[in-house]
Amino acid sequence: MTTLVSKLRQSTAAAVLAVTAASFAGDAFAKDLTITVWAGGTNDSDVYRLDAIEMAADMLEREYEILGEELNITVEKKRDFADWAAFKQAVTLAAEAGDAPNIVVTSHLDIAPWSQAGLIVPVEDYVDMDAWPLNNLYDNLVEITSYNDVVYGLPQDAESRPFFFWKDTMKQLGYSDAEIEALPAKVESGEYTLANVLEDAKKAVEMELVEEGYGFYPRVSNGPDYAQFYQSFGGELLDKDTGKLLLDKQAMTDFYQFFVDAVEAKVTRKNHIGTEWDQWYAEVASGKAATWHGGTWHYARYTGKEGLDDFFGNIQFTLIPAGNENGRANTITHPLAYLLTAQDDEDDVEIAAQLIKIASEPRINTLHAIKSAHLGIAREQSNIELYANDRWAAEATERLLGQANAQPNHTGYGQFSQIMFKGLETAWTGTRTPAEAVAEVEAEMKATLGDEVIIR
Amino acid sequence: MTSSNFRSWPLFLVLAVISMPLVIMYVYLFVDTVTDTTAGSLIPDRFTLHHWRFLWEEPETGRVSIWTVTLNTFIFATCTTLINVSASVTAGYALSRLNMPFKRFFLGGILTLHAFPTITLIISIFLILQMIGLYNTLIGVILVKAALELPLGIWIMKGFFDNVPWEIEMAGLQDGASRFTVWWKLVLPQVQPGVAALSVFVFLSAWSEFILPQVLAPSGSAQVLSTYLSNLIFDDMKPDFNMFKSVGVFYALPVIVIYLIFNKQLMNIYGGGTKG
Amino acid sequence: MRRAHLLGLGFLSPALAIILMLFLIPVLLTVMFSFTNMSTATGISGGAYEINAASLRKLADAGAQESFVETLGKESFVVDDAGITAAAAAYGEQFANEVGSQMLGERFSSRRDLERAFRKLKSRPRSTRDIKKAADLFKRSVLNIRFETAGGLVDAVTDNGIEMTPDQQELLTKTIYTGWTWTSDNFALMAQIPYVWRVAGNTVLYVVLTLAASVGMGLFLAITTFYLPSSAASSFRAIWFLPRILPNVIFVLMWKWLAWDTGFLSSLLANFGVPPRNWMLDTGVNAWVFIVLINGIVGASLGMILFGSAIKSIPQSMLHASEVDGASRWQQIRYIILPQLRWPIMFICAYSTLSLLTSFEYILLSTDGGPGGATEVWSLMAFHTALDNYAGNLQYGLGAAMALMLVIVGILASLVYLRIFNFNDLVAKPRIEQ
Repeated sequence: MTTLVSKLRQSTAAAVLAVTAASFAGDAFAKDLTITVWAGGTNDSDVYRLDAIEMAADMLEREYEILGEELNITVEKKRDFADWAAFKQAVTLAAEAGDAPNIVVTSHLDIAPWSQAGLIVPVEDYVDMDAWPLNNLYDNLVEITSYNDVVYGLPQDAESRPFFFWKDTMKQLGYSDAEIEALPAKVESGEYTLANVLEDAKKAVEMELVEEGYGFYPRVSNGPDYAQFYQSFGGELLDKDTGKLLLDKQAMTDFYQFFVDAVEAKVTRKNHIGTEWDQWYAEVASGKAATWHGGTWHYARYTGKEGLDDFFGNIQFTLIPAGNENGRANTITHPLAYLLTAQDDEDDVEIAAQLIKIASEPRINTLHAIKSAHLGIAREQSNIELYANDRWAAEATERLLGQANAQPNHTGYGQFSQIMFKGLETAWTGTRTPAEAVAEVEAEMKATLGDEVIIR
Repeated sequence: MTSSNFRSWPLFLVLAVISMPLVIMYVYLFVDTVTDTTAGSLIPDRFTLHHWRFLWEEPETGRVSIWTVTLNTFIFATCTTLINVSASVTAGYALSRLNMPFKRFFLGGILTLHAFPTITLIISIFLILQMIGLYNTLIGVILVKAALELPLGIWIMKGFFDNVPWEIEMAGLQDGASRFTVWWKLVLPQVQPGVAALSVFVFLSAWSEFILPQVLAPSGSAQVLSTYLSNLIFDDMKPDFNMFKSVGVFYALPVIVIYLIFNKQLMNIYGGGTKG
Repeated sequence: MRRAHLLGLGFLSPALAIILMLFLIPVLLTVMFSFTNMSTATGISGGAYEINAASLRKLADAGAQESFVETLGKESFVVDDAGITAAAAAYGEQFANEVGSQMLGERFSSRRDLERAFRKLKSRPRSTRDIKKAADLFKRSVLNIRFETAGGLVDAVTDNGIEMTPDQQELLTKTIYTGWTWTSDNFALMAQIPYVWRVAGNTVLYVVLTLAASVGMGLFLAITTFYLPSSAASSFRAIWFLPRILPNVIFVLMWKWLAWDTGFLSSLLANFGVPPRNWMLDTGVNAWVFIVLINGIVGASLGMILFGSAIKSIPQSMLHASEVDGASRWQQIRYIILPQLRWPIMFICAYSTLSLLTSFEYILLSTDGGPGGATEVWSLMAFHTALDNYAGNLQYGLGAAMALMLVIVGILASLVYLRIFNFNDLVAKPRIEQ
């Protein structure tokens, strides 16, 4: 009996050993992991933000296979967030809980607070910025995705936010074709200003070319776009010398006043904010508005879903005109970035880093750029036919990107822009006069940002 | 009550008029899901099932299938109901019938909690879920939802237990049964209507819950219908209003079925239960 | 303790455990949070110590000597013997020898430069990650390194040969800490921000208007359906009860459809020459009308049923008698029905005040506080501040302080209500003592 038991024991032990050995051996060759990617503010045409990671995973698996290692990456993609607020809330809380997605696609503005909180790790710790394809990225974009001189993220796309004119309406206002063609240059030189916009918009309404409230038809929700108008009136967002945020009260008042004037002149609706995006797109793409402002990616929507076949025949685009002699014509670029979140397992971060590196291949990024009408991130993209043959990408890059600046990466900028927009809303809707609104803005900025903001 | 002194048709008319907006909204909610309307017109002119395509089409990149979400919602609502009702039934009985220290304090406390700004505690609740590792899981949201409805549940069950005659329990005890057996075998059957009413109430409340899953379980695997629908509506590139309504009707169907079946219980809990 | 006590507590324990975990601890945590400056940037779980461009700026602002700030801010990689020894241990003698023979004594002002130099070596490690790690062995500064503890930072600073006075050390660890700190500023902040006062006003307006609407509509519905034949009455009750149980996302969707620019109201009024607009967000007043209607109808459902059952409990004989006396319908309502409804009305008011103060889902989903913050109420502001805003800047501390104000109002109000509704009656003594 005892022998039987001991025999049994032996054989069990042997079996256990064999099984363990097998599983160890398997471990050495096969690595299975799941990489989660979350993208904020992502519509149907932007799905390459997620799909690019999947393509990269396929490529990386092949590279590993050649090196004799089996790597199986499952890419979990998620983009169904209610809005930017819900997305950022989800990422922040998930990261706090140690449950963050490996890769997030988000605004470069999140780099400052998220790196301070340790939620994200610098991408430059994992990839060679001197090697292909990262050495081909535009330097100014990489600068935008850096904070404290450390490269935290890789630019995912570039864009800028132009001012649009409906050509037909402009012609009926008396502009000749040549004058319309010359408009971008006149805007850039400061000859054609926001005051002219107001004038033309008012005329368009008075001549009943467009309905009341459709002379100037701005963005319907908060966004970087509004900082452009602050800059148009001479405001600067950051004081370069001290690295602090800057509230220029005069510029802010003028900027609010412009929108209040637009409402009073009946060229913009008092209740414009909160208009549905669908309605907005449909209206601007069909010439219901004389002038408006939007983003380079709107091209995809106008020519796609809204069925505007001849974009260039119907719409002229320029920088955001200067507001007065203090300001300048400008546009803001607001690149999204691939960021790596802090994870317990460094190897996961490294794989994720390699994935976003491969996803930055000009060819892969071009798919996103052209499908969603964003601008490219790398120099070589202009040598890729798909990109080079796209008239919009070429013209928009040339006309806008040179003058584009980005919003500052600063931990307090989120609050700054939010307070600025809240002030605009109260002035625009007539709850407060521009001066009162700026006073409220000043009080709130002083209280919440303290030393981090300079008030001028 | 009808009476010979007054005619009721003027009243009927007034009520009909003020109910119009609601009725119009209900009717269009259903009609729009299976029809198309020419822009600018109010009358639908073609029949279509296109708006229901979310039921059979593959979800797009980065989105979750409606069926997963529906299953989640069912699990969420059912488990919440189970946990809430079990805890309410035991606690309600204790507060109604049993002797214990600090009873006044407990009762007052529960009444206070009943009127508590629970949702404003959500940051702290997040932290607790994070600490016990239940953030971003359906279980976590279930626990929180069950907890938030607990004060009301206990209060309602206490009300039902209060109405059970003492004689039943006394008789049971005289036959030598333990207090627990008496509760289980004799008292519980007496409050069955209460349990049913509370279950329906909690189920509906969980079925509708929006903020908790939105904040506490954002990842796709734990999504529920309310967040699914609101994410769909907010997506600015998808203008298909009729599809929103179809998802809405799909989401509301169980509610309406429950209403039709449990009409009485619902009136019972909304009418009497909350009477403090 | 007596056995009966144990039994009672035992029965209560599941509920107590849940309440302790998800009510009481959260309340305590909320109190704690409201005395911190916790935000996205500081993180919840605690901070670290990191010297970088941003924190050096803060250090200079806090009054540190310029030379001190400058020394700390200098990035340097030095190929020295200590580094070579470490490299030999980690990446082999061959690599270390090559580094030693070709680069000894060289200085680099960024890791990238050193990496570039390494990449020219034949025996270098063959993975990007290893080259970076190898380069870090030669780092002789503390710039851009995250230290979990103050001690770790101080040690690293002194290891790199930077002298600090105790004062400097204290200033350094205090200013460059990335985590949250205790503060009572949140309450002062609330008082200083004009917007907060406006929101407080909105909140009062919201509670008063919605309460009036829901009690008024609830009474009207309860009384009118009472006088209707039962089949008609139950149809109307169903119409008005549905809003209470329909998921709020759907109920709001229906209203949005009604008020949309291309929605029902606009299409209907277009026939009369009114230009289409988003009726819900057209003006602050419009938004208020919709907020009050949406919330009021949900409240009216509850009122209708509660008042309805109270009316039903009025003895029929009283009503019949009044009819025989020739009372008009109005007199019947005024002198018989309304007096019976005093308690239910008071109850609804009490109950709804608190739930209105704290619930914001309908507003969030319909106007989200707009236009221009016109319909922002306190609880929504707390939610926006702490968890939900476009900039993604979550201020947990300030948000918690806002929530705490509601908690305090809630507790005070419930205490008052407990007195009004005669709490003692509710706590009957058990008749079985075992």
